[in-house]
Amino acid sequence: MTYAANPKFAVGQPVSRTEDPKLVRGAGRFTDDINLPTQLYAVFARSPHAHGVIRGIDIAAARAMPGVLGVFIGTDIEAGGFGRMPCGLTAPNRDGSAMVKPSRVALAVDKVRFVGDPVAVVVAETAAQARDAAEAVVLDLDPLQAVTTAESAMAANAPRIHDEAIGNVFLDYHYGDTAKVAAAFAQAAHVTQLDLCSNRIAVSPMEPRCAAGQYDDGQWTLHVGCQGPFATRNTLAREILKAAPDKVRVITGNVGGSFGMKAPLYPEYVAVLFAARALGRPVKWANDRSESFLSDGHGRDHQMHAELALDRDGNFLAVRITGTGNLGAYPGQATVIPASANVVKNIIGVYRTPLLEVSTKCVFTNTAPVGAYRGAGRPEANYYMERLVDQAAREMGIDRVELRRRNHIPADLMPYGTPSGQTYDSGEFTAVLDKALLFADWNGFEDRKRESERRGLLRGRGIGQYLEVTAPPASEMCSIRFETGGNITLTTGTLDQGQGHATPFAQVAAQRLGVPFERIALRQGDSDDLKAGGGTGGSKSMVSAGKAIVEACDKVVAQGRQIAAFVLNASEGEITFNDGRFAVEGQADRNLGIGDLLEVIGGGLPLPAHLPQSLDVEHIAQTPPSTFPNGCHIAEVEIDPATGVVRVDRYSMVNDFGVMINPLLVEGQAQGGVVQGLGQALMELVIYDESGQLLTGSYTDYAMPRAEDMPELRFASHPVPATTNPLGAKGCGEAGCAGALPSIMNAAVDALSKYGIMHMDMPATAPRVWQAIREKAPAL
Amino acid sequence: MPNVSLTVNGKAVSRDVDTRTLLVQFLRENLGLTGTHIGCDTTQCGACTVHVDGKALKSCTVLALQVEGKTVRTIEGLADGEKLHPMQEAFREHHGLQCGFCTPGMIMSAVDLLNRHKSPSEETIRHELEGNLCRCTGYANIVKAVQAAASAPRG
Repeated sequence: MTYAANPKFAVGQPVSRTEDPKLVRGAGRFTDDINLPTQLYAVFARSPHAHGVIRGIDIAAARAMPGVLGVFIGTDIEAGGFGRMPCGLTAPNRDGSAMVKPSRVALAVDKVRFVGDPVAVVVAETAAQARDAAEAVVLDLDPLQAVTTAESAMAANAPRIHDEAIGNVFLDYHYGDTAKVAAAFAQAAHVTQLDLCSNRIAVSPMEPRCAAGQYDDGQWTLHVGCQGPFATRNTLAREILKAAPDKVRVITGNVGGSFGMKAPLYPEYVAVLFAARALGRPVKWANDRSESFLSDGHGRDHQMHAELALDRDGNFLAVRITGTGNLGAYPGQATVIPASANVVKNIIGVYRTPLLEVSTKCVFTNTAPVGAYRGAGRPEANYYMERLVDQAAREMGIDRVELRRRNHIPADLMPYGTPSGQTYDSGEFTAVLDKALLFADWNGFEDRKRESERRGLLRGRGIGQYLEVTAPPASEMCSIRFETGGNITLTTGTLDQGQGHATPFAQVAAQRLGVPFERIALRQGDSDDLKAGGGTGGSKSMVSAGKAIVEACDKVVAQGRQIAAFVLNASEGEITFNDGRFAVEGQADRNLGIGDLLEVIGGGLPLPAHLPQSLDVEHIAQTPPSTFPNGCHIAEVEIDPATGVVRVDRYSMVNDFGVMINPLLVEGQAQGGVVQGLGQALMELVIYDESGQLLTGSYTDYAMPRAEDMPELRFASHPVPATTNPLGAKGCGEAGCAGALPSIMNAAVDALSKYGIMHMDMPATAPRVWQAIREKAPAL
Repeated sequence: MPNVSLTVNGKAVSRDVDTRTLLVQFLRENLGLTGTHIGCDTTQCGACTVHVDGKALKSCTVLALQVEGKTVRTIEGLADGEKLHPMQEAFREHHGLQCGFCTPGMIMSAVDLLNRHKSPSEETIRHELEGNLCRCTGYANIVKAVQAAASAPRG
């Protein structure tokens, strides 16, 4: 049979995705598309109050409603022997003490702590019956005062949300040498300071959260959209179900986007498993979007005081970030990393800043828990730094391009150790900037500005030069199985949520093994298949699964070499492997392709016991160090001073993603990152009122970018291969956000500087911009 | 329970339904046509877009009983057997989808758009798609796909 790699699917080719024929037909298998035989439907009763002591939960009326088979509350779950919601993170406070980790029962038992906090699960024969009955659950509360911002939560008279958390502080984080940084600021010729917020985001993958639980004779199964079934299974087994890992199976089909939000274990998943066991039938639950706004993990919500110390020539001496992260009501589902460690890692970016200090108080509030969102602190850190750089340039009268060039880490200093403990393996930051300026026609700006002004519009341009530190090393697996007939199944512990893993992973394997791309299928999403797997997050999948695939392919070749030596009657040392063929060195006619070898093995040729009996491998790799994708995005905005409407008119980006396995998908990832960045910069904001009621509870109130809001996104590359992974790849999934926040906001401020406006908070919505202009120019 | 009879993807169907059953629920739950997705509950996201009597409609905001006697086409009814509809093909070729959740609704809206505009400008395409949210793509490749489908030969 013809069994060879086709160069049109080689690494570096823009191959369209193998999963798309299914998805464009609506034949994907998202969790809500799965119906289990005899399944029941769950709906949650949620707290309508942000904070209160639970006096009682009356479920009698709900229990008596038509079709209802069970109504369960937190005390049932506790009595059933289930563990409490876990919080895997541990970080020390600045005084060395451990961070507090208040425990949480999946359904609130003592208090409710945010609007949407689930208090009961109602299970019925139909979803409509369950919904009706959930309305009949009566929650008797003694309301308490609510706090919704970090500042109000830390106030002296604030109510305490968890008994353990004094002052509502979850983590008092600190990094850096306070004395040295203070000394640098004291001797600085100039200090630039800005108060910067990273606005709270409703993550909003288009597929709402959904789960179906099953219990059958000691065996648990959870169908759920997550970011890695291996870790989800382990946490569920160990922390919640107190079961051996092989008694728990997590199955994930298509995931309709996640962006960090679907990574943690949510209380609803625990409740459907509990109900499934209690009722002896599978139980499925699908969140309404209205509930998603209330109960999904939110993103961002940091408030930082940012300071940059410079010498007379504009050299950066130190950067200091001091502020708060609003973590919402519970740990576990919330994560402190975006407001703490990821600011440290990423604030250095592309610059030679020798000193840094980051102090963050991560604080509980009566709002939905805040977790990871695309970049998880990386885009924010780049935003803080790039706003400081533009501001410093303006204040010191130095050209903003020149100030960046002056402070770049030069390419000849690679590998470069940063003061935050990272070692950059590669990067050409000045070259990236220069290329971006050309690509964006930076010098043609004045003509475009005059043209905008002729139409009565302000025009501004902004640079966002970012560097992201992608996820740290973990372990990741790849198994390769050669099926009868010649198809190849790759299995990885990473998990696609729309990124398109199947195609680039197959491109890598096809090229390494010299086998047909079309024969390779990717299997993910079943914890029973997995021996390891960090899942997908932190822009690491191509790098981590890529290394696992490369090493697994090497093992296939090693096994093939042994078998080929036997079949070709040669010694193993004589066997070479090139383009999918094993040959005896120097005797090209004595050769076997992988396809031939499969036929020989499949044909039943007895192989001596000391030889591998197949080409199949199961490999666990230690994944490579973080990569350092970087780039320079340049935005130009037009602002209508009469209305305050900000429109991004031009958007150009030059990115260094190292070796791009599939540039079509890389560009798609970058575009997706930019749209989420644009949304955060100009439109998106989760708003709670003072009592903790969510005011932005639907897409009519929460503005997410639509097709009309987006400019053309111009994409170019300056690839510098990473030296720390075998593919030379750098993570691309989150970088778009990192470039978009600063480039768009620097452009908006540039346009508004005409009125002496030196800063705008995100999101720069029309009312805010209009107000800012009116304050400076009332006569307008 | 009252009965509803209609034509879905060329086939006559008839079912007894709870009066409050939405068309999208009817398609997904009663007929097992799970390609039509539910992304919100306020008629904002467009993931549930189908065609009713040839026009795009958000199936989350109409009762199944309201489409009595009408002709419904869902994403499953778009391709010609193995052969993808030109719009599906264009989305596939131009990487107009990532997670694929908004995609069925987006494609149904885009087909409707081309039914009404023979050669739409980029501006028209972006404006016409305002009823369909996508969180993944930045819309760049969606617009490209619709442009490509607009210039593809039509059968």
